[in-house]
Amino acid sequence: MSMHDELKANAAGYVLGSLDANDRQEFEAHLAGCAECTAEVASLSPVVSVLATAVPQVTPRAEVRDRILDVAAGLKSSSVGAGLQTHPRPHLRALHDRKAPSPLVWLPLAAAIVIAVGAGIYALRLQRQVGELQARFDQAQATTAVLAAPDLARIDLQGETVAPSARARALWSRSRGLVFTAANLPPAPAGKAYQVWVVTAQMPISAGLLITDPTGGGSQYYMTPPDIAPPVAVAVTLEPSGGVPSPTGERYLIGMP
Amino acid sequence: MWLLAALARMQPAAESQAEDVESLRRVVSGDQGAAAVLYDRHARPLYSLILRILGDETEAEDVLQEVFVQAFRQAGRYEASRGVVAAWLLMMARSRAIDRLRARRSRVEGRTGEVQVLNDVPDAKPDVASAMLDEERTRLVREALAELPLLQRMAIELAYYEGLSHTEIAERLEQPLGTVKTRIRLGLLKLRDVLKHLNARSPRVGNPAEGPA
Repeated sequence: MSMHDELKANAAGYVLGSLDANDRQEFEAHLAGCAECTAEVASLSPVVSVLATAVPQVTPRAEVRDRILDVAAGLKSSSVGAGLQTHPRPHLRALHDRKAPSPLVWLPLAAAIVIAVGAGIYALRLQRQVGELQARFDQAQATTAVLAAPDLARIDLQGETVAPSARARALWSRSRGLVFTAANLPPAPAGKAYQVWVVTAQMPISAGLLITDPTGGGSQYYMTPPDIAPPVAVAVTLEPSGGVPSPTGERYLIGMP
Repeated sequence: MWLLAALARMQPAAESQAEDVESLRRVVSGDQGAAAVLYDRHARPLYSLILRILGDETEAEDVLQEVFVQAFRQAGRYEASRGVVAAWLLMMARSRAIDRLRARRSRVEGRTGEVQVLNDVPDAKPDVASAMLDEERTRLVREALAELPLLQRMAIELAYYEGLSHTEIAERLEQPLGTVKTRIRLGLLKLRDVLKHLNARSPRVGNPAEGPA
């Protein structure tokens, strides 16, 4: 196989999103200047679309529709609870309209009150869930914005001798901020935390603390000042748990653009 | 109900796309009914894909909600040049479901999650030219997928529905990396041929990349 055929053979993996990182970068760089491979990608893409729909079709439960449309309503009015609390009212109204209420009316009324209270609690819980979702979503959106930034720069970080297997990647856009992803960091000792630094020619600037999970991985979005000097490095140090204004502790990761 | 959904998907792609774009525009202007319209048109194929990837109904419902919330919030930023609405939603659904699958996997595998954390999740490149969503076409491709040699089919399914990289697939199937690449390629080319024949039979939704030869 010629060099070019070898590259072209990667078109299938590219449209499936399954190329390993190195192959993907190589193929993307090649794709930009190769009409033949661009055509190959274009002709294979419909296959991927069809794979998305070539699965057994299942209708989600009706409750899911209600839940999602309730959340959608909250996105606009930012008061999801208000819409939900009206649900129990029809029950109450129906009871009041009865001309000669039998003694049994108390039973359904009590039930209606229980439902009303339950729905109120449900609405509050939903509201909290929506709030959490919103926060996660904002974080995700900020991350996506960075990844799509036209001025995106990538800095890969290597572990220092204290943590040789640690790795990290910083994706930085002057206009949109910093997305930092680390793996394999040793667990931070009690009272200590990892802190991420954007090192400029003048000084290191703290991006913020990095919370790691039990596997030593962590991912975080940080805002950076738009007038920051061009970074010469990104680094991670171990600092007192609240963080410090300039680095004092041991360096765990460093990388240069 | 299923009949309505099936009929909706039988509509010509261009018409569905125009209606979807209009619904997105109305969502932006605060029309709750439009959100319901979009949900009713797309929930089933999206949920089906997510469920296929995650295999868990509760998780699939959560991801479906995430996808719609994201779509409604980003409705104002949707650009038709980036693909038809159906493909845009499916791409979001796949990538969110795969993200969750990877998070689950790295929780289970502990330190071996390392490589997955550092590989940014690449999106499968969806077809931006045509929706290709009609029922008959999908059924025929599903059949074609089922008829592929087993290892070709498994490699493609691991790549698309489980978000594994070539290296990870090679490990999972205990095959050399080069063999995996070749199998994926041959399998996709075969599926492409099936699609080509379908397009030749009904040029209405033909792939614009392939003019008359």
